[in-house]
Amino acid sequence: MSKQVFTKTNIFIALQYLSARKKQSFLATIGVLLGVTTFIVMINFMTGVNDFLDDAVFNGSPDIIVSATTRKQHEKKGFNIGVNAIEHSKRIDDLLKENTNVQSFAHQIISPAILISDAKQFPGSINGVFPDQERNMVDLERRLIEGEGFQSLSTENTILLGISLAKRLQVSVGDQIKMILPNGKNTTLTVSGIFSFGITTIDNVRTYVSATTLQHLLGQNSISNIHIKLKDRDDVRLKSYLIENIDNVTTEDWKDSNKTIVIGNKVRDILTWSVSFALLLVAGFGIYNILNITVIQKRKDIAVLKTIGYSSNDIVFIFLVQSIIIGVLGAILGSVLGYVISYLISTTPLDTSDFIIVDTYPINFKMSYYVLGFSFGVVTTIFAGYFPSKKASKVDPVTIIRGI
Amino acid sequence: MIIEAQHIDKYFLEPEKHQVLKDISLSISEGELVSVYGESGSGKSTLLYILSTLDTGFEGNLSIKNQDIKKLTSSALTDFRNKYIGFVYQFHYLLPEFNVLQNVMLPAMKLAQKSKEEMKKDALSLLNEVGMKDFAKRPSYQLSGGQQQRVAIARALINDPSVIIADEPTGNLDQKNSGVIFDLLKEITERKNKTVVIATHNPKIYHNSHRTIEMIDGSIRL
Repeated sequence: MSKQVFTKTNIFIALQYLSARKKQSFLATIGVLLGVTTFIVMINFMTGVNDFLDDAVFNGSPDIIVSATTRKQHEKKGFNIGVNAIEHSKRIDDLLKENTNVQSFAHQIISPAILISDAKQFPGSINGVFPDQERNMVDLERRLIEGEGFQSLSTENTILLGISLAKRLQVSVGDQIKMILPNGKNTTLTVSGIFSFGITTIDNVRTYVSATTLQHLLGQNSISNIHIKLKDRDDVRLKSYLIENIDNVTTEDWKDSNKTIVIGNKVRDILTWSVSFALLLVAGFGIYNILNITVIQKRKDIAVLKTIGYSSNDIVFIFLVQSIIIGVLGAILGSVLGYVISYLISTTPLDTSDFIIVDTYPINFKMSYYVLGFSFGVVTTIFAGYFPSKKASKVDPVTIIRGI
Repeated sequence: MIIEAQHIDKYFLEPEKHQVLKDISLSISEGELVSVYGESGSGKSTLLYILSTLDTGFEGNLSIKNQDIKKLTSSALTDFRNKYIGFVYQFHYLLPEFNVLQNVMLPAMKLAQKSKEEMKKDALSLLNEVGMKDFAKRPSYQLSGGQQQRVAIARALINDPSVIIADEPTGNLDQKNSGVIFDLLKEITERKNKTVVIATHNPKIYHNSHRTIEMIDGSIRL
């Protein structure tokens, strides 16, 4: 005779027990459903926000910025109206080309300037870029609202503006604005493109012009920054390596520049996991409770099953199957409901704050989260079902029958 | 001999150590209907649980169908019970989640040696023999006590066991029903040549058995 417990008969008995307590089984299923739904919605939303911020901030800014130390630290020459130049840019280039963790890098010359339109004046941070290099650093095409990207900078006297700045200056593509640099030089530029990173702090001030245009106006042939994109963003050893080997430069990595966002991501992660875990734990206790009560109520039936030939393992299986059915059903329905709610959230218009510019709530629809939520729900219910099942299998038929 | 018990001693450890069965030796041959009677506390139920292999915590030897019970592991024992022993209890104990037919089929479904159709046919023919065929699709909790006990007899016989163990099978029934149920049990088991061991208080039962064993204070009165 077989020792196998996974038999049609045992499953039939389990199903019969489940359907005899439809209401309780239904409530237990709802418990798992809510746990899994919440887990999926929360993780979709939280990682959606995280990914959105990562994408906007980290792709909008380089992983490591190398800049010249301020002039005051090593020489004094009256008013500082020029731009601090990196003295050994060739050597840095050579070091970066050797480094295996560098994905790409780009030279920039960055200067503050006043931007003046027909309507208003605003200060901006002018990034003089080399279009061919910068294209590898920032995916501006994806972020264009109107006009063209970096390639338009090859036309002389053109400028790309962040959306917030463009709105404040009340200009659109094709309009002209005037730029006044600290050294008093000014020029008229045509707006050739307007972009949005979705982060107000960037969209408010960032502009791109061609580096050669800016160098010409500033009267210096040098660069002020080198932006580096890493293959592995978490490996920032390059930062200290550059400091050690190159004079008169400072470096800053993405973690320094975006401390609040890095911490925010961590807090959201902790929240997601702890709340989801708590909910599934509650659902698990629900199942534990229901099965436990059933086992106590059904002691006589269990005793009878044992006398007519059902082994302890059969009994464990019969009760465990009930919780697995509840768990799987709850987890499937929870995944579906989680998807539906996530979808609804993702289409809900978001009243934009000052910090983030986005039309709807950012939601991440990764398949792996559904797999995770599903397994999480099922595993919880198996644990919750195991102990009452074990208890049921220990029922001693003699004690029960004698006890009448 | 289908049941062979030698020098069986049984102790209860709680509330204090107490000898319930004292040096019980008995042999029961195939087709015999043996009733065990005695006052409550005489040890007759305890003896019945041991003979039915439910209670293995005893001293001495017991073999059923030439199988030494003590040599079986607990899961082998469960299978042994399933195949060779049928039970009828005082409180019928049908499972309320299942209908009458399903209750009768449960031991056969565990044995899993026949197709579902055959099991169903066997169960229906047994229900017919106990006069319950018309109730096959009824939920078991809707039946009266006497009806439930008829179904329990059918359930005990479904796997065609060698031994039927009945613990006060009429203890919960009125006098008229008691007689009917006992006569039914006797008629069917004699016809099928089953060995039956019944624990009972009922004089009508022990007067109509092939053999009676009287228990006094844990011993068999000779």
